[in-house]
Amino acid sequence: MDTLLEILRGIDCDIDFENEKGLITDRLLDSFGLIMLVGELETHFDIRIEASEMMPENFDSAEDIYRMILRLGGNS
Amino acid sequence: MAYHTPLYLALFFPAILLGYQLAPRKYRWAVLLAGSFGFYYLVCGRLVLYLAGTTVLVHYLGIWIELLRQKSRMEGEREQERNWKKQGKKILILGIIILLAILVSRKYYNFLGQNLNALLEALGLLPYFPPKDLLLPLGISFYTLMAIGYLADVYWGRIRAEGHMGYLALYLAYFPQIMEGPVCRYSDVAAQFRRGGDLTGENLAAGGIRIFWGLFKKIVIADRLNVLVGELFAPESSYGGVFILAAAAAYTAQLYMEFSGCMDLVLGSSRMLGIVLPENFRQPFAARTVTEFWQRWHITLGVWLKTYIFYPASVSFPAKKWNCFGKQRLAPYWTRLGTAAIALFPVWLVNGLWHGPRWSYIFYGMYYFVLIILGIAIEPMRLKLLKALGLKEDAWYYRCMQRCKMWVIILTGELFFRAEGLAQGLKMYVRMFENFEFSPLWDGSLLNLGLGKGDFCIVFLGCLAVAAVGHGRERGILSYAGLQRLWQPFRWALYYGLILSVILFGAYGEGYQIVDLIYAGF
Repeated sequence: MDTLLEILRGIDCDIDFENEKGLITDRLLDSFGLIMLVGELETHFDIRIEASEMMPENFDSAEDIYRMILRLGGNS
Repeated sequence: MAYHTPLYLALFFPAILLGYQLAPRKYRWAVLLAGSFGFYYLVCGRLVLYLAGTTVLVHYLGIWIELLRQKSRMEGEREQERNWKKQGKKILILGIIILLAILVSRKYYNFLGQNLNALLEALGLLPYFPPKDLLLPLGISFYTLMAIGYLADVYWGRIRAEGHMGYLALYLAYFPQIMEGPVCRYSDVAAQFRRGGDLTGENLAAGGIRIFWGLFKKIVIADRLNVLVGELFAPESSYGGVFILAAAAAYTAQLYMEFSGCMDLVLGSSRMLGIVLPENFRQPFAARTVTEFWQRWHITLGVWLKTYIFYPASVSFPAKKWNCFGKQRLAPYWTRLGTAAIALFPVWLVNGLWHGPRWSYIFYGMYYFVLIILGIAIEPMRLKLLKALGLKEDAWYYRCMQRCKMWVIILTGELFFRAEGLAQGLKMYVRMFENFEFSPLWDGSLLNLGLGKGDFCIVFLGCLAVAAVGHGRERGILSYAGLQRLWQPFRWALYYGLILSVILFGAYGEGYQIVDLIYAGF
């Protein structure tokens, strides 16, 4: 989780990723931030994120992202 | 039988409402389905077979994908899972190819043929593709997108394939949305179709008000502006200077009033039946950036493009390869810019092409692509400049500047969008800067374009009213619930004022021609 938070802060240091629950639905993280995040997650956790995973439910909070990483078999 | 015609409003739709309420709850979907196919047949005749064929195809392919997934789940092996994904993907691609082939053969054949013939002639060969007189099935661009979205959602496991062909047929053919959208996702409406609830006073009232509001935008403002727009954009016209600016502004207002007014008719009709469809507009002229504009204008098309093109393109092989390359060799700025370009190019190409088989539409898509990429490219410089000048992003003057910039961008885009071809668009754009003077705006020259002083006053006041209502809605004041909180006599005065203004100021009768829905042509 710490690695994830570090990556998220690298994408946008102005967002409170530890507490925000609506990163996508409240449009805090834009589409370009999201695609940069996907690249970082794939590199750091050795996972493959496909188009089917690209939905708000998987990216709305740090916990949601972390759950997705675990589900995809990431090296947490 | 468009949504603003007396035939729809006074005969067809009330008959559907009555039939819906009288039918047993579990067969109400069938009333809507029969009404939808009846509506389609009345408008398009035998072309309804295209819609029926698409329904059968999509139903069958969806179930095929679902069965493969279920089989792999039962067998449980990881290898099986991988196999089903491969097979499922093949079926999805097959479905997309067939759906696009139908769309291209009806909508783009002549455009492609014309351009290929020109290419053949340039190479010294004889033209091979004779032009054909093809009829376009109503709403094919809309229901094709919805069909592709449905198959992708089934493949991605976001929804289960619909086993009941009737519900799927209703999703694709639903009469309020078949002409101009909104582009719904199956999950938006499936449960509402199944529920088949009673008509309620609240839904009838809220839907009815919305319908009258849509009629106001369409008949009072958009159809009146059509006279002016037709004159200024006529291929033989030679207007220049401020007249071109007026043409762009008038068409932008006409398109917005027409399309958003039609959406009010669509959403209002559907609301009366108790089915809530997604909104398609949210104060687009208040946008401060290009990206924000497309989050407010034709919202459901934007969501579709984002979900089914932007995201898949952003995790595609070229995007990932570029990301890897960028991380090793380039600064993050260039990596981000390149990834954005790879993901956005297909989005805007499809956006342009979707509107129709014309180079000016492709130009329109590419215009926004270039602007968004430019926006990303200059973002770091913009932030530095703001900091250096001590400007605040949320300051009123900066917001005003951004909105003015957006209006210039929007008007320029719509000028090319409406022009009779890319060549005319370019000519008009160049002519705008020749002998530019503001004086024709007040010296009476505009009164020679088919509209009188009274018409201009009605258009101006109508636009102000629409802007005020949009502003109120954005703040939740003028939603249906918000209206209910108003003082009752005042509320009823507003309702009567709306109805009377449609009757008294509508652009119909002598001197006006009936104007078809613009987006129904796409």
